[in-house]
Amino acid sequence: MSRRTEFEFLGRVTIGQYLPTGSALHRLDPRTKLLVCLLLIAVVVASQSLLGIMLLLGAVLIGLALARIPLSFALSGLRAMLPYLLLLALLQTFAIPQYAANATVLWRWAMLTITDRSILAGILLIARFSVMVLGLSLFSFSTTTTELTHGIEHLLRPWQKLGLPAHELALTVNIALRFVPIIAEEAERLMKAQASRGADFGQGRNFIQRTRKLLPLLVPLFLVSLHRADNLIEAMEARCYLGGKGRTHLIHLQAHAADYLALAAAFALMALVIGLSTANADQLLWRLLSTYL
Amino acid sequence: MIRAEEPLIRVEGLHYTYQAGTPKPIPALRGIDLTVQAGEYVAVIGANGSGKSTLLRHFNALLLPTAGNVWVTKWNTRDTVHLRDIRSTVTMVFQVPDDQIVASVVEEDVAFGPENLGVPEDELHQRVDWALAAVGLTELRHRASRLLSSGQKQRLAIAAALAMQPRCLVLDEATAMLDPAGQTQVRKILHQLHQDGMTIISATHNMAEAVQAQRVVVLSEGRIAIQGDPRFVFAQEETLHALQLDVPYPTRMARMLATVIRDFPTDVLTVTELAEAISMHLGQPLELRPKPTTGVR
Repeated sequence: MSRRTEFEFLGRVTIGQYLPTGSALHRLDPRTKLLVCLLLIAVVVASQSLLGIMLLLGAVLIGLALARIPLSFALSGLRAMLPYLLLLALLQTFAIPQYAANATVLWRWAMLTITDRSILAGILLIARFSVMVLGLSLFSFSTTTTELTHGIEHLLRPWQKLGLPAHELALTVNIALRFVPIIAEEAERLMKAQASRGADFGQGRNFIQRTRKLLPLLVPLFLVSLHRADNLIEAMEARCYLGGKGRTHLIHLQAHAADYLALAAAFALMALVIGLSTANADQLLWRLLSTYL
Repeated sequence: MIRAEEPLIRVEGLHYTYQAGTPKPIPALRGIDLTVQAGEYVAVIGANGSGKSTLLRHFNALLLPTAGNVWVTKWNTRDTVHLRDIRSTVTMVFQVPDDQIVASVVEEDVAFGPENLGVPEDELHQRVDWALAAVGLTELRHRASRLLSSGQKQRLAIAAALAMQPRCLVLDEATAMLDPAGQTQVRKILHQLHQDGMTIISATHNMAEAVQAQRVVVLSEGRIAIQGDPRFVFAQEETLHALQLDVPYPTRMARMLATVIRDFPTDVLTVTELAEAISMHLGQPLELRPKPTTGVR
């Protein structure tokens, strides 16, 4: 594969890419994957137990293996976020001590304090984000955007009676995702056109300088996008689109035994993690470890 | 062929002004009268800005007249109660392939129109199958729409319009962004659809496409400058030139030959007709070999 040029936008981000390996995970109903993914995020945010989060991390890694996704590829998405994660973890470490009542102070200098609790908080943050990023990556590696939008529409449909615009939401997501590569191509073309007339998008000295160099791109890109949106609206109107009311559907999702099995397994695991968190399992483990070591 | 009592589309005294009521109104159509019968094939030609696209958008109520009226069968396009009827009777294919595809999978995009109409499921599948077959995309039905070539995308757009089971297909420079092979394929599809009884109205810059129509309507500055069958319209080379329009290449070549060959016919429109005229002149009858079929892939 040739080296990427500075003009290419796609291919840098791993999250949101689809890898067709044809695994059992790929064949699951998108609703199953959506539900598990939402549950995973909720539980990983709610759980105070490092042990529980590590369990989830293990589960996601097993999921990646089941989906036959190369681990290095999955991790490369995480690696891009690492500097930001470390910064956040550092902030977390210094921000926590004030709130922890029975924390042991490990280090203190002027306003800055580090306690055992705050270090744990920093580690928890990194672990949480890793689970989330890998979980969402796994979802996107194994689910096409079409499946995703069908999943959203099917899941939200029961709420349509209460006035939730299920179809409209799903269609919006679908169109947004469909236009990502088109707009990226457009940006690439604009950049090349500007570069051929002497514009320089190259290595600025820092992040701000490089961002500022992209500004001349934004106005034409917005104009082009609005123009495309206009055309699309016209094409949709010409095909009698008047919102979700009274529409029929070509595609119907069908859940199989594997989906119920996957859901049951996911629920069991999440329950275990919540249980570990409420039972303060970490402290028990910590106490056990410190007695024996 | 079923010929309806009333014309399929009737346009009377149509005026349309962009930004009407603002300090800078832009008149696009200035008094158009036109009728299109069911089963006709009409080509609309004209320089950029002559009002082709604006006129076409009145045929299925995407635009409503500033003055005058447009009827689709018995419905006035101003009558919003019949909007669905009008738009499923007259469907449109637009110029930019990417900007008219809604779904990310080929067959789902074809289904988008009939889904909107609330077509029952079993019929929905039949319509999708039929429309995909009509444009030769059956094998690509599960393909991601963004992975198609421009020509294939435009065929998809035609299939999506056909799935509405319209009586009339309106194309707004639908071949303008395609390579020659793509243009030829679309032209063949249009020809076949017309043979099967579909009414076709096509705005185009491609004179080879205009030649296959039964009637050519020439627009200039929002008015109809000339209309008639292709042979009549393309005989008026000077008028067309004044409107910044060309005649088809074979016609132009025949006119050049006529300046040196006495009695050489100047009313030829296609390559075949030109070849026949030349061979007649040479006194050697032309044996037309069957053309190698490019076929719709």
